[in-house]
Amino acid sequence: MERIEAASLVLRVKSVRKLYGALEAIRNVSLDVATNEFVSILGPSGCGKSTLLMMVAGVVDKSAGEISINDAPVTGPRPDIGVVFQQPVLLPWRTVLDNVLFPIELLKASRAKYTERAMELLAMAKIHDFADHLPRQLSGGMRQRVSICRALIHDPGILLMDEPFSALDAITRDEMGVELSRIWQANRKTVLFVTHSIREAAFLSDRVIVMGRRPATIVEEVKIELPRPRDIALMESEPFNSYVRRLRKAIEASHAH
Amino acid sequence: MLTDARKKFLDLLWPILISVLMIAGWELIVRALGVRSIILPSPSRIVETLIERHDLLLANLWPSLYLTVIGFALSVGGGILVAVLITYSSFLRRGFYPIIIVSQVVPKISIAPLFIVWFGTGAVSCLLLAFLITFFPMTINSALGFQSIDEDIHLMARTFMASPWQVFWKIRMPNALPHIFGGMKISITLAIIGVIVSEFVASQQGIGYLIKLAGGMLDTPLMMASITILSIAGLLLYGLIALVEQRAVYWQKSSDISGSAGG
Repeated sequence: MERIEAASLVLRVKSVRKLYGALEAIRNVSLDVATNEFVSILGPSGCGKSTLLMMVAGVVDKSAGEISINDAPVTGPRPDIGVVFQQPVLLPWRTVLDNVLFPIELLKASRAKYTERAMELLAMAKIHDFADHLPRQLSGGMRQRVSICRALIHDPGILLMDEPFSALDAITRDEMGVELSRIWQANRKTVLFVTHSIREAAFLSDRVIVMGRRPATIVEEVKIELPRPRDIALMESEPFNSYVRRLRKAIEASHAH
Repeated sequence: MLTDARKKFLDLLWPILISVLMIAGWELIVRALGVRSIILPSPSRIVETLIERHDLLLANLWPSLYLTVIGFALSVGGGILVAVLITYSSFLRRGFYPIIIVSQVVPKISIAPLFIVWFGTGAVSCLLLAFLITFFPMTINSALGFQSIDEDIHLMARTFMASPWQVFWKIRMPNALPHIFGGMKISITLAIIGVIVSEFVASQQGIGYLIKLAGGMLDTPLMMASITILSIAGLLLYGLIALVEQRAVYWQKSSDISGSAGG
């Protein structure tokens, strides 16, 4: 496993296990994530990777092991985490701007103070013209952009993303990958990104953790040493494709077990 | 936008045209066959009666409307309150919800005479019947609204550390609004039925009383005029609620709104 210096260690998952009754969903998973590192967890649907993410978010209990953020054990939801879900999960009665400011309201911070930041985030995601629109007036890709802005509004240190683009069509999906890469470049965060798309993981990540089928365990870890900023042309390049092949092999090998 | 306005116009045009034709046909048949107004008064005769006896009609409309609105308001308040209690107390949900639902097999109208025995003839009996008949759709609809929240929205709110209070006011309440208005639209019509029926048996005033009285005197035009004025009042009350709904539930398309759940 990748060794991370203590000073830059943000998230530590150690020997985590999750049981649903007699069913073992996650077996002995350990991983460390460094500050501002983009780490993807890649695995087949239903392998328990989303469960792992929700445990890090503090909304699902673990059966054994330790999860700590900045050396403090995770015991519940915390304000320094932002979560993006598979669906945009916007509130239909709130405008785009009010949806982005929703966490600010919940955390009882000053709306006025964060409105400017919200508009900046929306501008960065190229949807500031829609700030006063309702979610139903937006396309699926635009809604997910709003939900990314919402996850970033309170400037959390860690961004957790649970297959955020899997509900989008293939073209929008590639586009959103490029957008996210750009947003991340401008707004560095520690990101834990769950996906079942090999290309998406290779394109976005500094490091990809491959998980096998249930019970989920880590089968391989691949460091992606591609230059940044990354654009869509990268997806055609040989180095990128060799990473994709390597990741695919790792997944296939895990199926053979 | 233009096509929208045109569509709206056509949507209104046809029902209005057909209504006008039907009323004209009615008038024609009554005149052609010389039907006596004691059997079936012509529309023009009903309008005449409305104008001539408007004092009597209005004097009896106000008490009915008054009881309808109060009974309706009580059931809206009570229904929402009970819906909240059912939502937050699993004891109440498991213990009382089934009873509320099963109790709906009792035709509430049939209880009217019982109310006279308990509370005498007058406003209290009328009000109680209006309340009883509207309380159920109000409660069921509101409870559905408070409870039908997407699992993902709960999860999202939890990751942002929403308190139960915040979940109620910022998620459950707005989520319930369309359902509450659906319940209100059903309830307002039912409230009128409740009041009129109880006035048949338990009142010395009101439109229900007037209809019964006119029936006893074989004054069919007055009966028809009473029914007409009552229908207009009912339509206005319903329209008022629909109007408020359009403002309050601004995030739903109007076509979604009109299709709200029945009781």
